[in-house]
Amino acid sequence: MTPNGAIVFGLLVIGGAVVARDLPSLAIVLALALIFGLGSGRRIVMALGWSIAIVAPLAGFMGLVWVGIVGGAPDEIGAGTEGSRAAAAAYVALISLRLFAIAFVVQATFLRFADMTPLQFVRRLSMPALAKKLVVLTLSLIETILYAIDRARTALIAAGIVTRRPSPRNLRNGWLLVQTVWLTVVTIAIGRTRDKWPTEETLALIDGTLADATPRRLTAIDVAWMVVALGSLALAVGMR
Amino acid sequence: MFTTPRLVAIALCAALNFSIGNIVYLIKLPIYLDSVGTILCALLLLPDRTAAVVCAFIAGFIGIVLTGLLINPFLPWFAFSVLAIALVSALLTGRGTGTFRARPLPAGPFAAKVVFYGVITGIVSAVVSAPVVIYLFGGVTGSGSALVVAYFVKTGNFLWDATLRSGLIIEPIDKTLQVLLAALLYRATPKDFLAMLRPTAQPSVT
Repeated sequence: MTPNGAIVFGLLVIGGAVVARDLPSLAIVLALALIFGLGSGRRIVMALGWSIAIVAPLAGFMGLVWVGIVGGAPDEIGAGTEGSRAAAAAYVALISLRLFAIAFVVQATFLRFADMTPLQFVRRLSMPALAKKLVVLTLSLIETILYAIDRARTALIAAGIVTRRPSPRNLRNGWLLVQTVWLTVVTIAIGRTRDKWPTEETLALIDGTLADATPRRLTAIDVAWMVVALGSLALAVGMR
Repeated sequence: MFTTPRLVAIALCAALNFSIGNIVYLIKLPIYLDSVGTILCALLLLPDRTAAVVCAFIAGFIGIVLTGLLINPFLPWFAFSVLAIALVSALLTGRGTGTFRARPLPAGPFAAKVVFYGVITGIVSAVVSAPVVIYLFGGVTGSGSALVVAYFVKTGNFLWDATLRSGLIIEPIDKTLQVLLAALLYRATPKDFLAMLRPTAQPSVT
């Protein structure tokens, strides 16, 4: 499967999850996402775990709000009828399942390409060269910023300006950490853009690297998955 | 429009949007600062307003897509909010760039402009985000604002009204903080970098 095919498939499944209005239609969409996820082998366990970890706290919080505090579903409140906790629980289940389907399909889509480095993945995408270059530069600068955060945080803790644990001092001086990080990365960016990259011809090398791998057209497997996803989307719309 | 320094500015601001969550987590702040890079990108690219809108949106969009893939898969749904924030930042907040960089700092006008632009950004963001919060999350996003939604629903408001009212209370506070941070970072940005972003000597890469 090509990265573009997987992304289109993922978007179609997400579309299906969004338009699904009841548990049966959502279950169909989720089943398709799970079958697709099996294609990533044992990584499906990782995708499931990640999705549960993302959605479970949200579901708990929604349960607290709708079942615990409000005690009814929004539809009941909108209709002016007395709310029931059972309806609120069903509402929370529907929303949580929808969010789980979205989170899972995002993970399942990208875990299929977990063997690739981010650069290899971006190379194989069919998208404008400028967009590819921006993504590669951003990924590179994220690494730079994360290192800058580590260094600046250690320095500010050593200087007693911020603390490791939550504290009023962090609230007061937290922006100093952001400012320190920003100044560090801007200085690095100036140095790279003005001196380092032109000397090493970095941008030309990036262009060459990104253009080197000719993106593959959609394969028959891509199209097959897309057709199935479109079918589930149509089913979800039809069951509304 | 896309000179190399501007591409770097977009990437920096996208990376800042992505990484600032890391900073907030590290110093355990009870706030979200997910649009600082977007606002800052618009400020950096002014006075070229078209470039400011386009580049700020691209920075914000790349930020939410990367965050969506790695941390929070629901963030990309707020792409229209990113566009709205980019527009407000370039067309309104950008009017304060003179005050933001003035030396010595004019405390009164600086604070007044930050609050004014922050509140407007927050109101626009709340209105644009409300449909996503209602449809995708059913009104509850997991943040403290959900308790405000619950309170409004409990007191007889429809979900749409409750979510919008909650957003109109929470978002201006959050966005004022973000405009403040973006203004401070803009103020701290070296002149050299701002000069590189002007559309002069650098050849376009497109």
